[in-house]
Amino acid sequence: MGAVDPRVEQYARLLVDRSLDVQPGWQVLIRTQPAARPVIEELVRLITERRAYPVVRMNFSLFPVDEAWASEAPLELVGEIAPIDRYASDHMDARITVEAPDNTRGVAAMSAERRAAMRKATAVFLRRTMNDEIPWVGCYFPTNALAQEAGMPLPAFEDFFYGACLRDWDAESESMHRLLARFDAADSVRIVGDETDLTMSLRGRTGEVDDGHVNLPGGEFFFSPVEDSADGTILFGVPTEFNSAPVTGIRLTFRNGRVEQASADQGEDELLAALDMDDGARFIGELGIGCNEGITKPMRNTLYDEKMAGTIHIAVGASYPKVGGKNVSSLHWDIVKDLRRGGRIELDGEVVQENGTWLI
Amino acid sequence: MDPRIQAYARVLVDCVDPQPGWQVSIRSQPPGRPLIEEVARELARRGARALVRLSFDSAGGTFTRVAPMELIENPCDIELHEIANTDSYIAILAPENTRAAADIPAERLGARQAALRKPHMPFLTDQKPWVGCYFPTAAAAQDAGLPLPAFEDFLYGAVLIDWHELRDRMERIAEHFDRAETVRIVGVETDLTFSLAGRQGKVDALAANMPGGEIFYSPVEDSAEGVISYLEYPACYLEHEVGGVRLRFEGGRIVEASATSDEEFLLGALDTDEGARRLGEFGIGCNPGIQRHMRNTLFDEKMEGTIHLAIGTGFPQIGGLNESAIHWDMVKELRNGGRIELDGKVVQENGVWAL
Repeated sequence: MGAVDPRVEQYARLLVDRSLDVQPGWQVLIRTQPAARPVIEELVRLITERRAYPVVRMNFSLFPVDEAWASEAPLELVGEIAPIDRYASDHMDARITVEAPDNTRGVAAMSAERRAAMRKATAVFLRRTMNDEIPWVGCYFPTNALAQEAGMPLPAFEDFFYGACLRDWDAESESMHRLLARFDAADSVRIVGDETDLTMSLRGRTGEVDDGHVNLPGGEFFFSPVEDSADGTILFGVPTEFNSAPVTGIRLTFRNGRVEQASADQGEDELLAALDMDDGARFIGELGIGCNEGITKPMRNTLYDEKMAGTIHIAVGASYPKVGGKNVSSLHWDIVKDLRRGGRIELDGEVVQENGTWLI
Repeated sequence: MDPRIQAYARVLVDCVDPQPGWQVSIRSQPPGRPLIEEVARELARRGARALVRLSFDSAGGTFTRVAPMELIENPCDIELHEIANTDSYIAILAPENTRAAADIPAERLGARQAALRKPHMPFLTDQKPWVGCYFPTAAAAQDAGLPLPAFEDFLYGAVLIDWHELRDRMERIAEHFDRAETVRIVGVETDLTFSLAGRQGKVDALAANMPGGEIFYSPVEDSAEGVISYLEYPACYLEHEVGGVRLRFEGGRIVEASATSDEEFLLGALDTDEGARRLGEFGIGCNPGIQRHMRNTLFDEKMEGTIHLAIGTGFPQIGGLNESAIHWDMVKELRNGGRIELDGKVVQENGVWAL
């Protein structure tokens, strides 16, 4: 192995210092894959420097499920997390997930039933972090598979990736909090753009800023809007996917918070299946505002795309109780809308962003 | 995929014989992927769980190299809980570089081993099944002095044999040794006797080593008398290769030791503690798939037509009383005019059984 890219060490430091602020004696579970080796080695070094335990759970697929095993094991075992892994989930003090896929289509060959069982077992592991009981962060390590998905050679993808992640997060945090205060004070949000005019209410809701803690790259602030308030239509131009199937050109029309009409140029079957998953799947769980200037074009990956400056995203499905959301669903599907060409955001009738540029 | 990998996976899972619902951890390194995935699938078919735990090297890597000693000496609660609750484990060494831990100070490696020893006692005392083995990587082949395809042929030849047939054969041989009192090993510059009185042997087939293929005893600790010379192969231990080892025993204790290379390491090992100068094990290699020395004890001690004697700690589960921090197996070739006698009767000559 040659010299380690100095950005890897900065990245690891960001995860250990800012995202988790690891304390002595902690058991920090690192859930990862072999291709992340450079950053794993740095994480182990930095965590032990803080006199805490790195608990590395590395596999070809992401802990706690082994895909090779899950493809043939009795379904009832697949759907239930192993007791040993449940213990780790219940006793870890912090969790880092560093995905480093060597093939982003790793689970594509598995039946829907088995995939659902794997998700069920994984949900048990994720429970404490989803409830924010412990510090956690989910992120990637740049691999050829991720670069390929983004349509780039690896070095260019690395430049993009570290550009989006290694930012002055204190400054980003401050500017996002300033914008957030305006949204917190407003009752009604209106999104206008290409074939789009959608309003929803944030009355009584306060948002939260993602400034390099639970996700890297961070760079958004988000709300769970009042559940029965969305009215109007939105066209999502940024491609997305569901269960590994591409879905593009999604049009949703809301009435009293609920999706009444839905269509897509590609993947309409997947879209409708997702919306029919349960009662909550047709309601908005999240409105997010992308603010990361390091992300300038869609990369076919929600984690980056939803942070892109000049975009907003709406998630259909589960909302976040920590920001007052009440919608319950097994679905939480973020779909991104680009506002940089002819779009705008209005708060209580005042235009606050136009063509992706803030006016406040 | 090489069809031998599937067969190998079945053999490994046979070694631990998992029951439905068992939590079986697979400890390995990334190059072992084809075998790891087959073992996981085989465990799935038998209704057991596979908990895959990958590391970059089997010695703990960066953690062992840089962590404060207090962390190494006191494994964390999650790790201890896992070891205590694992029903079985399959350790597949799949090294990228067999010297990856060469820069880690011995005291760090030792501290890690010592910290993990106690929680592993149920495995070390055969209360829970486990198996250790290799996946053929370029690094493992390089250590064996072979190109990878030749090493693969060697490895699969040693593990894909009829284990039930070999077990039956070894059990029949072991009956003769179980009944005997005195063993005499005669060979090149070698004439050594020791006692097995009151000791029962153990047959290694589909057990904690793959390849297996040996019958082993812990001899009576004060019984060894005579000389043994390991002239055919170097005595390999802790990444050292000591040539031409010659040991003379009196009353079970080594009273004279010499070597033609790295003698200092040999003498240092013998001075580790009192038990280091006594025999902990007498083993008889019976694996017909292993016909050549590889400088890797896991394979070499199973070589058909050889015996091995370990200086240092014995096996309590078969009556061994000797205690030591070391257990160094040294392999002696007998196919070059050597023989084994039991109570004065020749039972093996030139590596061929005469029972």
